[in-house]
Amino acid sequence: MRENKTLNKDSDHLEQANNIEVWEDVVNIKDLLLSMLICTGSAMGGYLLAPDDPQKPLLYGLAGVVIGFLISSMIIKPKRTLRFEDEEK
Amino acid sequence: MDLSLIMELIAVSIFGAVLYTIIGIAPGTDETAVLMPVTLILVLSGMQPISVLAFFISAIVAKKLTDSIPVAIAGIPGGVLSAPMVEHAMVLKNQGMPDVSIRKMASGSVIGTIIAVPLSLLLANLLIPFGDTISQYSNQIFFTGAVFLALMTKNRWLSLLSIVPFALLIQGLRHLYWGIGAVPEDTTVFTSFFLGITVGPIILKLLELLNNDIRKNLPRRTTNDIVLKRQKKVKGFPNPFKILDKKETGSSALASVLGVFTFFMSPAGMTIFLGEVISSRIKDPIKRATRAISSMDGVTNAAYISGILIPLIAIGVPLSPTALGPGMALFNAPPVFSEDHNLHHLLSMSDFVVATVIGAAIAISITYFVTVKYAQQICTFVFKYIPHEALLGVFLALVIMLAYMDAGLINIGGVILIGLVAGILHRWGVNYGVQFMVLYAAPWIVSNLVL
Repeated sequence: MRENKTLNKDSDHLEQANNIEVWEDVVNIKDLLLSMLICTGSAMGGYLLAPDDPQKPLLYGLAGVVIGFLISSMIIKPKRTLRFEDEEK
Repeated sequence: MDLSLIMELIAVSIFGAVLYTIIGIAPGTDETAVLMPVTLILVLSGMQPISVLAFFISAIVAKKLTDSIPVAIAGIPGGVLSAPMVEHAMVLKNQGMPDVSIRKMASGSVIGTIIAVPLSLLLANLLIPFGDTISQYSNQIFFTGAVFLALMTKNRWLSLLSIVPFALLIQGLRHLYWGIGAVPEDTTVFTSFFLGITVGPIILKLLELLNNDIRKNLPRRTTNDIVLKRQKKVKGFPNPFKILDKKETGSSALASVLGVFTFFMSPAGMTIFLGEVISSRIKDPIKRATRAISSMDGVTNAAYISGILIPLIAIGVPLSPTALGPGMALFNAPPVFSEDHNLHHLLSMSDFVVATVIGAAIAISITYFVTVKYAQQICTFVFKYIPHEALLGVFLALVIMLAYMDAGLINIGGVILIGLVAGILHRWGVNYGVQFMVLYAAPWIVSNLVL
């Protein structure tokens, strides 16, 4: 958690940037809210709309979570940059 | 035991391994939340008891192998038990070695499984004569476990002091729900409280974002720059004994043995405890992290396997956190299984051995292969295409849905409350292990406070 200094060197001159760190990765607050709304909405939607048989609501709800996850992944861009470095060993 | 039964066991084990390899990669999939419902459905649909067991064993081994992936690449626990590993995995992630941490964790898992299967079967056999006596003292065992784990943490007095208030919070909510009729009086809300504790730290963090002062003072960043070190391809079938060095293998094995013997304790608590004990003296941060995660993953696997097998074989009531959570459906799934009519009563010792060995062997051969061989590809894919926001969203959605499922709308507030308290306690150094033990022992603790 505290070992992030090496990756953090750009933060000094970018005080205005809108992204913050939550749980070890960088997120945009607006995107985070959007994704939470989508996922919670699709999960609860699935759960509440499911037929009233035992276990059905849970299955529909889980399907809703998956759908919400896919939608969020499609509309939100990850805030990461990925580089490869060849191992020296 | 005929061939067609063996074929069926192999088939359900493959099904379990494939399904939970996929589910395990998804972050935030709490073990209880994803294992219990599916097992319950299989039990209720009339699957043979021995096949259910093979499925369950295969599922937990596969799930424990793959849930190291979200930990390694995103620092998000793939389940309750991988939460303690986050800190160490982050050290490796920041060094650009998330795939190394996946391989080390998966190899630790395999060692844990190889040790736990025979040892659990043996220990269960030895405990059979004492089964009835043990089951009478389950509450005391959980309470003692909470005290023990509290004394083992760095902030021991704070941890010790938090036990009773936290138990009051849990029981307070349950009595409130009973009192206002949110749930019937014979229903004890459990799964969602469990989940509330698990996500406590992140609930706290998210709520803090709503505080203006805290939000303004958070460091701002544009992107997270990740440098991945290219790894050599693993040729042929990966060998856990080559991926781990001798010391890592040794400490994973030792930790796994201890994990089996402490089957009745919270696996998360034991994982934290043993992981710290084993790694705390190592100076080099990378070596310390690899040693810790491989041993911890060994313990979690061992604790899970022993936690389900020993109560099933020797006791017949769910007297371990694993049995009370993910494995609940093997003990109690009305109308098919009940406390007097479940796998404990239906299966013979040879049934247990065959189902366990087939389930574990199949899960290891499928899942370990995929996890280790494609660790870097999996990491690259997730980093490039899966936004962190979506992962957090999924996590929150699961919590809210399960809260609603357990006790309706009111419980969403209840779980946030538990998460908030658990998150603060966690930040202050009261670890998950203590909190989970308190969750199990809460009814007993509270009933003993009224004289």
